[in-house]
Amino acid sequence: MKIFRILIKYEWLNFRADKGLLILTALTLFAGLYGIYYGTTEIERQRENIAALDVLTEHNVEEMKVKFLGDADAGDIGYYHSTFAVNHPDSWASLSLGQRDVNPYYLKLRLLNLQSQLYDTENINPLKVLSGNFDLAFVLVYLFPLLIIGLCFNILSAEKEQGTLPLLLSQPISLPLVVGAKLTFRMMLVLGLALLLSVVAMVWGQVVPDVRIGIWLGVVLLYCLFWFGVAFLVAALQKNSAFNAVTLLGVWLLLTIIIPALLNVYVAVKQPVPQALELTIKQREVVHAGWDKPKRETMNKFFAHYPQWTDTTEIQGRFAWRWYYAFQHLGDVAVEDLARDYQESLQARHQLVAQLNVLSVPVNVQGIFNAMAGSDLPSHLAFLQSASRYHDSLREYYYPFLFNQVAFTHADYDGEPRHSFTSSPDFATAYSGLVKLVVSVLLVYAVALLLFRVKEASVK
Amino acid sequence: MVKSIAKKEFVSTLRDSRFVALSVIVLLLLLAATIVGLHSYKTLQAERDTAQETVNDQFVSAADRHPHRMAHYGSYAFRPKSSISFLDFGMDSYTGASVYMEAHRQNSANFSQAQQSSSLIRFGEMTVAFVLQMLIPLLIIFLCFGAFTQEKETGTLKILLSQGISLRQMAWAKIAGYSKVVALVVAPALALASLLLFGRGGFELGGDVVIRLLLFMLFYLVYFFIFIVLSVVVSALHQRSSTALVTLLGIWILFCVITPKAAANLGANLYTTPTKAQMEADVHEEVAKGIDGHNSQDERAEALKQELLEKYNVETLEELPVNFDGILMALGEEQSSHVFQEHFDELTGTFEKQNSISEYVGLLNPYLAVRHLSMGMAGSDFSHFIHFQKMAEQYRYNQSQKLNHIQATQLKYGDKETRLSSETWKDFTPFTYETPPAGWALGNHLLSLGAMLLWLVLVSTVGIRLIDKTKVA
Repeated sequence: MKIFRILIKYEWLNFRADKGLLILTALTLFAGLYGIYYGTTEIERQRENIAALDVLTEHNVEEMKVKFLGDADAGDIGYYHSTFAVNHPDSWASLSLGQRDVNPYYLKLRLLNLQSQLYDTENINPLKVLSGNFDLAFVLVYLFPLLIIGLCFNILSAEKEQGTLPLLLSQPISLPLVVGAKLTFRMMLVLGLALLLSVVAMVWGQVVPDVRIGIWLGVVLLYCLFWFGVAFLVAALQKNSAFNAVTLLGVWLLLTIIIPALLNVYVAVKQPVPQALELTIKQREVVHAGWDKPKRETMNKFFAHYPQWTDTTEIQGRFAWRWYYAFQHLGDVAVEDLARDYQESLQARHQLVAQLNVLSVPVNVQGIFNAMAGSDLPSHLAFLQSASRYHDSLREYYYPFLFNQVAFTHADYDGEPRHSFTSSPDFATAYSGLVKLVVSVLLVYAVALLLFRVKEASVK
Repeated sequence: MVKSIAKKEFVSTLRDSRFVALSVIVLLLLLAATIVGLHSYKTLQAERDTAQETVNDQFVSAADRHPHRMAHYGSYAFRPKSSISFLDFGMDSYTGASVYMEAHRQNSANFSQAQQSSSLIRFGEMTVAFVLQMLIPLLIIFLCFGAFTQEKETGTLKILLSQGISLRQMAWAKIAGYSKVVALVVAPALALASLLLFGRGGFELGGDVVIRLLLFMLFYLVYFFIFIVLSVVVSALHQRSSTALVTLLGIWILFCVITPKAAANLGANLYTTPTKAQMEADVHEEVAKGIDGHNSQDERAEALKQELLEKYNVETLEELPVNFDGILMALGEEQSSHVFQEHFDELTGTFEKQNSISEYVGLLNPYLAVRHLSMGMAGSDFSHFIHFQKMAEQYRYNQSQKLNHIQATQLKYGDKETRLSSETWKDFTPFTYETPPAGWALGNHLLSLGAMLLWLVLVSTVGIRLIDKTKVA
């Protein structure tokens, strides 16, 4: 034990003297802090933007009240008035922004056909989303492995190349002890840094303190251990430093970039999502055909879905709002199956990735982070469904005005439903990811130890 | 002497089985990326072609309708993929594919590939550009890191120098040798890509595509050359191969992994953009109240009415020889489009400012320079996307105005009933999109082009001079 401590102490002295390693560690720390800063400001901006939507809605209502001074026809209000469905970020989102920048976090809705409004996009800079988010998850998933590689690639080979290994082994110390001490020192350093950054991010981002603190720290710990395991495995091959560096970087490249990119291709081919364009075209066709169809036919179709309004007065003349909103809604009904297919295909894509992520630990870990932060595709789909339900409730709020032909008064704006949705964490994905991660870590160490034994035996 | 050094580097590299293995992997990935890119290109293009044909048919065969009904019915613009975007998807996966073009409203481009993916897509896509931008430089580093250090470690450097050759000459000789090796790896893939591009149908084969492809390849060749010289210089500055290698790998990580993301994120942090909701509210407000609150929508309508009544010397709108509805609608469309355009230009201006950070960082990082140039040539960059959006908006505007004109001339004031024969819609030309010429694409990336040339000049002059000045222990 004493020797172990001495070894650790000298590792520390070595580390302190090595400018390159110090710079690397400082850079990672700095990148981590920047990632935390970026993540929190980005989520803060989203919160501010969402808050500003309330102001826009208020303005819109004021404008309506001026435009329709007295009692108004609810049909006019439904046409000119707009509200928002909003997807509030979970408090953990600042740690892992996921797809929250690609998918809109609010939708502007009117009483019109829903499917023509549900897929509108936000003002986003394509270069920025292409480059991706520099959040804490990125630093942990991409950069920490590089730090570990930088610290460990010459863990044994450097001693060999400097000729100090035989000297060291001439002492009553075994090779596993030397490697163990070196790894322990580096693990303390890296894990200390990773856990420190995680805690800073949690405090800075004011996350809701729940079981996720444990999961997050556990995942960070295991993920770092995985990469130490990889470094250990490569060290077990007992090759020179250059070989180790190239091999480790190769593994990193394979796991963080090449395999994910190939998986992405596979998923796109295996689970195509062809519905989108068809959906948007069909929805327009059905809605606009509504103008040309006999009103009785349209209303009967509508009453099949809303029998409670069947007994309302027959529509006279060229135009009536309730007929207009009826065929708007029938447009949604006509593409109901397509819309469901579309969302189910997207969900299936995500599911497929969740199955295939055993092939790449970084993909798995990123998936766990996004699941915990509620920032991945399923969360967005849940938001879309929530927005659809909100649209239903809006319609149902307006229908009595329209069908009973009751005037819409200024007081009725306050009774209009408002929407709020907060992304919720997906614990099932997080836990299953965690199990896979544990298996990956165990596997890598088992192989590394085995390899060490074999190599040692062959040396003897 | 120079020739024989170049030849020695070439031959000995080819004898190195590890290098050959790596090259084969890279080559295979390059081929895979080409096939994958082509497949994805074909699928998406077919989807969009079909969709475009469908909506074009729907428009010309639409039922008898009131012209303003038709203006609301509108059309769609589906963004065609540029022919050589299969080599570099660029931003295409993050930009919308479909724009609904209707009266009074400018809609967003919807249904991007990224929105239809889980976060897996954020790890990057397997494209030819990815292999060329990130993997070939790694291969180059692996090829060149020992250029001088190995000679130093084995003591052959002094022997070589004693033959009367200068360090500078030796550097150039090695660069020549390595360039040949890289060419051997890259050439088959590029040849195959060109063959696929030109050997099969479905692509519009114009001189422009050829120019784009040639420039695309040229930029990558320059990029590889910069990396070769850079690696040789770094090797010369180090005493040991392992430290040279680690330095080069560090540079690669900084160039290809960290700075691109950091620059894009920094840009977005520095220049904020309004949300779409805010922008729409602003446009609405300006249209309704007039710019600066003067000349509101109602005042403008009243002024137009008086002007027309005076012009035709009549008392009421019904007596006008033209339909006031159509004219008023045309005026409204003109003004709202004008205001929208101003806001849209402001928004794209802000995006361009954000992107300029990445372009300036290109001066420090050749990866960023080549990335921008590559997307530009492939037609998958920011400018091409904005160009498409503008063309769609222009088409939308013209279509609405044409329908307003029909309403103004063929229908009576207050007539909401009359339906024009469906023959009327056959006069409308469908939306078509032409990718702008290569010169235009290049013009958007002059800064990146400058950065690339600067790097080329710097590594070939300052870099080589550095080699000349190294001490041979």
